[in-house]
Amino acid sequence: MSTLTLTDVTVSRGAGPVIRDVSLTVESGTITALVGPNGAGKTSLLEAISGVVEASSGTIAVDGEPLGKLSRVRRSRRGIVHIEQGRAVFPSLTVVENVRLASGTAARAEEAIALFPELEKRRDSAAGLLSGGEQQMVVLARAFAAEPKFLLIDEMSLGLAPVVFTRLLPMVQRFAENGVGVLLVEQFTNLALSVAGQALVFSSGRVTFQGSAAELAASPELLHTAYLGGAASA
Amino acid sequence: MPRANASRTLRILVPFLVTAGGILVGYALSVGLPGYFVFLGTSAIVAAIAILGLGIVTGSAGMIALCQLTFAAVGAWVVAGLNVIEAPGGFIVWLVLGGLAAGVVGILVGLPALRLRGVNLAVVTLGFAAAADVTLVQIQFPGSVTGTSIVRPEGFGTDREFFFLGILVLAACGIIVYFLQRGRWGSSWKAVAFSERGTASTGQSVPGAKLTAFAVSATLGGISGGLIAGQVGLAFASSFSPIQSLALYVLAVMSGAHLIDMAIFGGIIWIVVPELLKRWGVPQDWGFVVFGVLGVQALTSGTNLGTGIRNLWWKRALKKGGTATNHLTTDVSATPAPQRTFSGEPILVVRDLSVTFGKVEALKQVSFELAEGSVLGLIGPNGAGKSTLVDALTGFLPQHTGSVTLDGRALDRLSPTRRARLGLRRTFQQDRVPPSLTIDGYVRFAARRRLTAGEIAEALEFFGCPPASTRLASVDVGTRRLVEVAANVLARPRVLLLDEPAAGLSHEEHVDLGRRLTQVPARFGTSIILIEHDLDLVRSTCDSIMVLDFGSVLASGPQEDVLADPAVIKAYMGETELL
Amino acid sequence: MLQGALSGLAAGGVYAIIAVCLTLMSRLVRVVNFSQAATGMFGSYVAVWMVSHAGLPIWLATIAGILVGGLLSGIIGWIIATWLSEADTTTRSAVTVGPLLLLISLSFILFGNKPQPFQPLLAGPAFTVSGVVISQVTVAMVLLAIVVAVVSKVVLSRTTVGTQLRALSERPTTAELIGIPAKPLGVAVWAITGIISTIVIVIVAPSQSNDAIALSMLIVPAAAAALLGAFRRLDLAVIGGLVLGVIQGFVAQIDQVSFVRYFLPFLFIVGLLLWNQRKAVWDAAR
Repeated sequence: MSTLTLTDVTVSRGAGPVIRDVSLTVESGTITALVGPNGAGKTSLLEAISGVVEASSGTIAVDGEPLGKLSRVRRSRRGIVHIEQGRAVFPSLTVVENVRLASGTAARAEEAIALFPELEKRRDSAAGLLSGGEQQMVVLARAFAAEPKFLLIDEMSLGLAPVVFTRLLPMVQRFAENGVGVLLVEQFTNLALSVAGQALVFSSGRVTFQGSAAELAASPELLHTAYLGGAASA
Repeated sequence: MPRANASRTLRILVPFLVTAGGILVGYALSVGLPGYFVFLGTSAIVAAIAILGLGIVTGSAGMIALCQLTFAAVGAWVVAGLNVIEAPGGFIVWLVLGGLAAGVVGILVGLPALRLRGVNLAVVTLGFAAAADVTLVQIQFPGSVTGTSIVRPEGFGTDREFFFLGILVLAACGIIVYFLQRGRWGSSWKAVAFSERGTASTGQSVPGAKLTAFAVSATLGGISGGLIAGQVGLAFASSFSPIQSLALYVLAVMSGAHLIDMAIFGGIIWIVVPELLKRWGVPQDWGFVVFGVLGVQALTSGTNLGTGIRNLWWKRALKKGGTATNHLTTDVSATPAPQRTFSGEPILVVRDLSVTFGKVEALKQVSFELAEGSVLGLIGPNGAGKSTLVDALTGFLPQHTGSVTLDGRALDRLSPTRRARLGLRRTFQQDRVPPSLTIDGYVRFAARRRLTAGEIAEALEFFGCPPASTRLASVDVGTRRLVEVAANVLARPRVLLLDEPAAGLSHEEHVDLGRRLTQVPARFGTSIILIEHDLDLVRSTCDSIMVLDFGSVLASGPQEDVLADPAVIKAYMGETELL
Repeated sequence: MLQGALSGLAAGGVYAIIAVCLTLMSRLVRVVNFSQAATGMFGSYVAVWMVSHAGLPIWLATIAGILVGGLLSGIIGWIIATWLSEADTTTRSAVTVGPLLLLISLSFILFGNKPQPFQPLLAGPAFTVSGVVISQVTVAMVLLAIVVAVVSKVVLSRTTVGTQLRALSERPTTAELIGIPAKPLGVAVWAITGIISTIVIVIVAPSQSNDAIALSMLIVPAAAAALLGAFRRLDLAVIGGLVLGVIQGFVAQIDQVSFVRYFLPFLFIVGLLLWNQRKAVWDAAR
């Protein structure tokens, strides 16, 4: 069992903070959904955890040990795997090459590819030639091959038809079943909440709700306020 | 407004007064300095003029030019050649002709590298420097074989007098560069260094901006070379070697030579360092080693001496004033404005617009019309193709198919610059406002028409922007986007596409911005397409709404109908049960 | 005619090898390295100095010089990887102008500004083609150019490190997020291209004008060659280098236009740039 703990994390970009004072605990084997309108700072939060940007204050710790100024590479070796927004494949590399990059052994890479029959068929194609859904499968297989302790997923559904996305979501659950702590940033709110245990709602860089996903799903007015502002809920 | 007029007169007068002061100091030096220092001083002046040119191309326009002394050689060559054939006009005319010749050569050398990114210019110029160097060694300067010394102009025959002539030339170059930097060209150089797309979107041609920077720089190089020829009497290739061009480039970068005082300072350093080394008995080549180390330091840290000093100064000013931000939330309804009425005819007509990237269809057969005088909201989930649509409409995706017609005129195949000039403007999601300009400089540059100070102040006030004299570097990012909107509105385009103008503003400010945007058509005569995520802003601003999803138009029409459409709700929120 | 063209082949081989180095650097570490030839020059000068002043055997001095070239290049790479890891190609490339200036000046100080007393590593003819003598240096250069290009290609496409390097060049941030060590790999690319450049210059310097500036300015024809492959393709870089060398050798034979050969690399660059920019491209980032 592992724990990822964020204490009063603030991330700044350019002029000022984009996300303020977030405290959050992610346990192994659970899914935490981060929802809220665009520009609320969810991406920046994930980037601070994986080391793409530096948190301007607060601490991020794995099993009580602060990550401090560890590089992205070191953090990934501590088991933090970050799936970025968009389709983060290496386009000229083949499917197999993409997946093997992240795996310690060839066997693990094969296991990862075998999770997706679609990829098995196109294993030697350049990843850039795959469809959007298939590219996202490559990214998930690569994440699987990396054997993460914590998986940060940023808007996997971007530019995908909901049908395709519902096909990918069970994989996220499977990560959790295998003991991975998942942080899921998602624009398809209801789908995200349907698989998550914990949920946070962000609005303009602040947490406006933190609690169980079921509770949030049962009280849609909370989401309304976050997405549509005061006018909509009136 | 007598006060505004007085301050304007003062603004124009000050540089001339400073120049006059400089000339006086220069004259005193030419009389008072020991003879040896007069010669060194002339060399410093010559270097300062060359560095002044580099400051434009590297400092302002952000390109790498590694052949400044080759342009100097062109200038020297022309002066020497005209001297040999005893051309009419004398040294001063030859000097000007030498500068112009170098400018022409600069344009020819710069042309191949204009459309591609900056590093290509470095390759071209280094290649030119290397080739010209070997050639010059072989063919020699005119008159150098026969020993025909260059005739200095009457009254400037002695070294002291020639030093003063150098001061005069430097003063003339300095004042010209000062006004160029503050004018349209200067703004375009700074804009192109920061963002090529941003530059094109204001109707400024990107190659034009680069070419003027490179040509002015080369001209100054040529003038500096002509002066060298006059200073030493006989020009030799060794005065113009590529390694010295490299050193001059590095010196320009680390001193911050886009600032005129720093260019002069750079010229002095150019002479002082080797002179000191000579006196200490250290090989003079150490000078370039030091330049190399300091240059790497300056380039890796992205800082330079001039900007560093100015920042210290501004920091003190900032402590007094703080970061400039907007005051959107103050009420504007009181300000009276001329009201326009519109026919309601379509001003922008888009038919079957499609864009594909490789195999991905980013836009599929998008068709719509924008009624004149209206505000159309464009919404849709992330990745739906909204920004792609803006790029395609404004010419940044020339591969698009379908047709775009603005006020009856087909825009297809026109460049972004042309489209902007015809009245189809846009703003960007990312910050594309060059921070090295003042708000006033940027607004005048982007508007592309004569504006009175009153007009600018009124528009800035309308959008809650800080005063025109504020430096953009000290304005927060959200407010810079407002300045961008204000500047584009002042350009009086027929249609303005706003790509998430409220990003970076607080929620309360969103609504206030929306209130102002609704007034833009009547006030400025511009119709608007607003891309926005915040539905509150869209609701409060837009008469009609178009929804994009997976690159297709999912729905469009009056606001209430579209927002009530279940398909729209599903696409936007990803679920139906919530609404 | 043939004599001239073939005599340019050795120079063409040098251009080709440095062009391959430039292409690798541009693709893998996003830099047009203006100090590429200068590091090679400096390493070679160190080798010469060790023979003539320290009395080292020539093979040992050569190895030491090559290592110095690699080390210098690695240091420049480390500086850029540390402080400009996210900067654009233009900024990263501009930094390398500093070392170019520095290395030339430093070599003037340490070794004087006269051509160096290089002892040829390879000398004499290799074979004769229809009356034209082909030197060993020519054979070595052309072979080396092809070998370097082929080995680079194989390493990049067949090995784990190669896959990692390609991943880094395509999406540096993503690569780091899956644990690919960007900085050590980048510095290694710098060091290796530095070593290759030094080897080439050590071999070719005895048989051509070898003052510090002439050797450092080999970067110009090499950049022209690399432009043929648009700083992306290794095979075209090799072809570009060889063709440029042959044309230069050919032109040098014709007295009336022999000075044109100095402008050939420049004209090559201009022509290729004009060709590459037929279409306007809008870089999404700027």
